[in-house]
Amino acid sequence: MRLRPTLCETLLSGLLLIAVNAFAGEDQDSLDWLRVAVFASHQTDYSGVFVYQYGNRVEISRITHIVEPDSEYEKLESLDGPKHEIIRHHGQIWRYSNQQLEQVDSIQGRNRFPALLPEQLSALRANYRIKETGVERVAGYNAQIILFQPMDNLRYTHKIWVHTDSGLLLKAAVLGDRNQLVEQYAFTQLIIGGDIDRLWVKLIASSVNSLPALPKSEQGASVGLSGVPMPVEIPKGGMPVNSGWMVSALPAGFKKTMEVQRPMRGRHAPVTQLVFSDGLSAISVFIEPSDGDEDDVEGLSCRGAVNLYHKVVDGNLFTVVGEVPPRTVMQVLDSVRYNAN
Amino acid sequence: MKKEISVLMDGELFEDEADVLLDRIKRDPAARKDWEMYHLVGDVLRQPEHIHCGLCERVRKRIQDEPTVLAPRGHAVKQRVRAFALSAAASLLAVGVVAWMSLQISPEPAPQMAMQQTAIRPVNLQIRSNSSDYLMAHQEFSPSTDMNGGASYIRTVSYSLREK
Repeated sequence: MRLRPTLCETLLSGLLLIAVNAFAGEDQDSLDWLRVAVFASHQTDYSGVFVYQYGNRVEISRITHIVEPDSEYEKLESLDGPKHEIIRHHGQIWRYSNQQLEQVDSIQGRNRFPALLPEQLSALRANYRIKETGVERVAGYNAQIILFQPMDNLRYTHKIWVHTDSGLLLKAAVLGDRNQLVEQYAFTQLIIGGDIDRLWVKLIASSVNSLPALPKSEQGASVGLSGVPMPVEIPKGGMPVNSGWMVSALPAGFKKTMEVQRPMRGRHAPVTQLVFSDGLSAISVFIEPSDGDEDDVEGLSCRGAVNLYHKVVDGNLFTVVGEVPPRTVMQVLDSVRYNAN
Repeated sequence: MKKEISVLMDGELFEDEADVLLDRIKRDPAARKDWEMYHLVGDVLRQPEHIHCGLCERVRKRIQDEPTVLAPRGHAVKQRVRAFALSAAASLLAVGVVAWMSLQISPEPAPQMAMQQTAIRPVNLQIRSNSSDYLMAHQEFSPSTDMNGGASYIRTVSYSLREK
């Protein structure tokens, strides 16, 4: 009689072990999909039309991604409304509208392939339940679906559809606490590799090299998008710093991936930016002296999965931006402290 | 409507929402009836001794008519029986009231959930114009950019269209 529970226990623990191993194996495979997706997005030539959906809005755009020996070139064009393009090349971003090419951001000191770091992968495993939930067709291609369900309510659920052959992300959805759709990208048409128009890359490459890094005030194109004149002495890129700013209430698994001091359009003083990531989403904290602008009153706003919260505390303007729920950006902002050491 | 009234009575509505709902209750006789009914239910649950339906009395009588299982011995036992009878009546009543309430309420989703959703909501859905620069600066370092490349820049593109 006494043997029975022992036997049961042994059996049960054996079963548990098998289950755990199976789970670990599954996690591993699912994370491999993620690694493949990151690699493919940098290494593949593709061009396609995708739908971006958030709230009750739908927007359609075309994206073209070309890998040249020197770097990647990427062009994003709106297909609805006024014609508008964003071009990315080597950490620099240009906006093309009204026949004018204008640089809007420039960040150096960034790895060319900032693929997922091992510690980010372990953070992912610790903070999300990861599983493969089947194969579906997206834009005519077969895609493996991988679901990332957070263990806490400080982050969103992510669901990605990865092309089983190329590893490209064909669709990505962000879901809230009650599985409501927060935002979604999905390709409706996509050409992978092959004959993709490269003419624009040459045009961009030549015009980019002849353009000043950032327009200067005297040159007409000097007015920022928000109508604020750009300071002439704005330096290029960001400088890595150890600013002394600390965030104490980050959700588990968020590790600092960046800390820079950088210029920002329409801002008089350089802005300190700290970036934290759990491997799937990131939280940026911006700190700058408040210039007493009435726009700087406390507020929370959002666009798709990105929430933005800003607040002035003791003469500093804090802005927290991230693909995390509103409660998380608020919690993070309220825990920012200055540690002089 | 019933769910909203229930939420209002639990004090979980925002002030402006409560005002609107109270106005509707004043105008709509059906809503008013619901409002009164919910208050009655609340009162019954809080003070069961004040109900005038005679249910207690009837349950007590039925129990007295039943053959007594516990052999009555002396005054103390009789009192215990009476206490038992009363508590049995009370629980029966409670079951009845709860059953009735659940019939009234259960088809609706739990109102607390709905409230949690609205408790934290973005103040303005339209991001301020100069916030686009913060979004742009953030996007470059977000893993979403690594996964779907420039597609995630759509977050910074489209509202800059509206911005002009």
